[in-house]
Amino acid sequence: MARSRVAITGLGLVSPYGAGLDDFFTRLLAGESAVELLETADEPRPLSIPFVRCAGFDPDAALGKPLAGMMDRFAQLAMTAAFAAWDDAGLARAADDDDREGWGVCWGTALGGTLAYERGYRELWQQGRERLSPLTVVLGMNNAANSQVSIQFGLGGPSMSYTVACASSAIAIGEAFRRIRGGEAEVMVAGGSDVPQAYAVARAWEALRVMAHADRASAASACRPFSADRRGLVLGEGAAALVLEDWEHALARGARIHGEIVGYGTNCDHSHLVRPDVSGQIKAIRMTLEDAGLAAEEIDYVNAHGTATAEGDPVEAAALKSVFGMRAVQLPVSATKSMHGHQLGAAGAIEAIVTVLALRKRAIPPTANLDRVDPACTGLDHVTVARHRVPMRAALSNSFAFGGSNAVLAFLSVMH
Amino acid sequence: MDALGLIREFLGERLSVEPDRVVPEAELARLGVDSLMLLELMFKFEDRFGLEIPSNRGSPRTVGEVVTLIGGLRGAPR
Repeated sequence: MARSRVAITGLGLVSPYGAGLDDFFTRLLAGESAVELLETADEPRPLSIPFVRCAGFDPDAALGKPLAGMMDRFAQLAMTAAFAAWDDAGLARAADDDDREGWGVCWGTALGGTLAYERGYRELWQQGRERLSPLTVVLGMNNAANSQVSIQFGLGGPSMSYTVACASSAIAIGEAFRRIRGGEAEVMVAGGSDVPQAYAVARAWEALRVMAHADRASAASACRPFSADRRGLVLGEGAAALVLEDWEHALARGARIHGEIVGYGTNCDHSHLVRPDVSGQIKAIRMTLEDAGLAAEEIDYVNAHGTATAEGDPVEAAALKSVFGMRAVQLPVSATKSMHGHQLGAAGAIEAIVTVLALRKRAIPPTANLDRVDPACTGLDHVTVARHRVPMRAALSNSFAFGGSNAVLAFLSVMH
Repeated sequence: MDALGLIREFLGERLSVEPDRVVPEAELARLGVDSLMLLELMFKFEDRFGLEIPSNRGSPRTVGEVVTLIGGLRGAPR
């Protein structure tokens, strides 16, 4: 089967640091945490959790009032990230010159428009209202984000949402990649967005006892992947989008190419809903290497799933050690969730962007707060301080989800 | 507030439509109101004026038709 090469021509995100993509990556390299204490006034017990907010995000300013008013926050973030990626790819907002009937969207979201439904429950049960806004359905549906993106760019191909917990957007990117590689589409928008600050969602994660606790002073360093004193994950809201494009199509229009996506593997542990399985993760990483036609020795960097939970980190470390064998001790690994938090369905897309930028800028962002590696997580080259001018050609990004679904993406630098 | 005032407020908020364009003969579609937004507007009337708009009244086409519909319901004994 003829396979098309797949270029990454657009990158966009809503940065928790407030500014754009370059600023986002620079801050990661500096080891700067975006985590702050989120304190709400919710009844019956306010939230007080370390969290990553896109506090500077103003939907009306970013999208204009009429468009923003038709979307829940997860779709507003999605649309804003998609606009940024689209502009970055140098594509016109309106489909004047090109035929976009086959172009599509693959979007990841674990929670979709949960905030819209939560608002509904509050109105019904707390405020005693009898009816809800007629927009609630179209704000709340999980595919609102990808549909809005298709509408705004005039994309007539498939428009799909992927809900696979923490692997949602890695899977969305992988599925979009396969469509282009297989010749089914020339351009796909792929990414993810989530807003886990919904009161009941945050409370539910607390109940699972996997979230780090913190006060105002300690919030910034609350997420400590692979560290002996890690205390759990830190949730965050966010969105990230990539424009994936058939290589020849990108060249023909003179597009700037950030990197190449060359491999994708996804599978299921099929053993337990929340306990990760090392053999499932090993298979997913190997599937990806095989799909990419890369040997383990050729990988120069791994952006780990690394959420800082007690159970998850040692399993991921063991999987990497198994796949990379003797070379694992020299394999640069970092978990950037230590700084940007865990955006659930958006995490895979944010980390895909981090991985592409690492290759492009030849710089590896660190795992922040990793002073003392857990003995169960040693045996890898943990990057704890940014590395610059690193010659790199290939890198992986891991996403491992509750439910046992694993997704790994492989990227190549275009400057090798 | 009268019905026209509420339509002006709503369209100003949602679509930044200038109030002087919101006149009885103006077509809702031309002002940017689609079927979803019309539902929102009806919802707002029900909320503010304590009305219940029966779903068998058909869709108003102009600002004036909305005003007439609401006027009829407000005048009617409840």
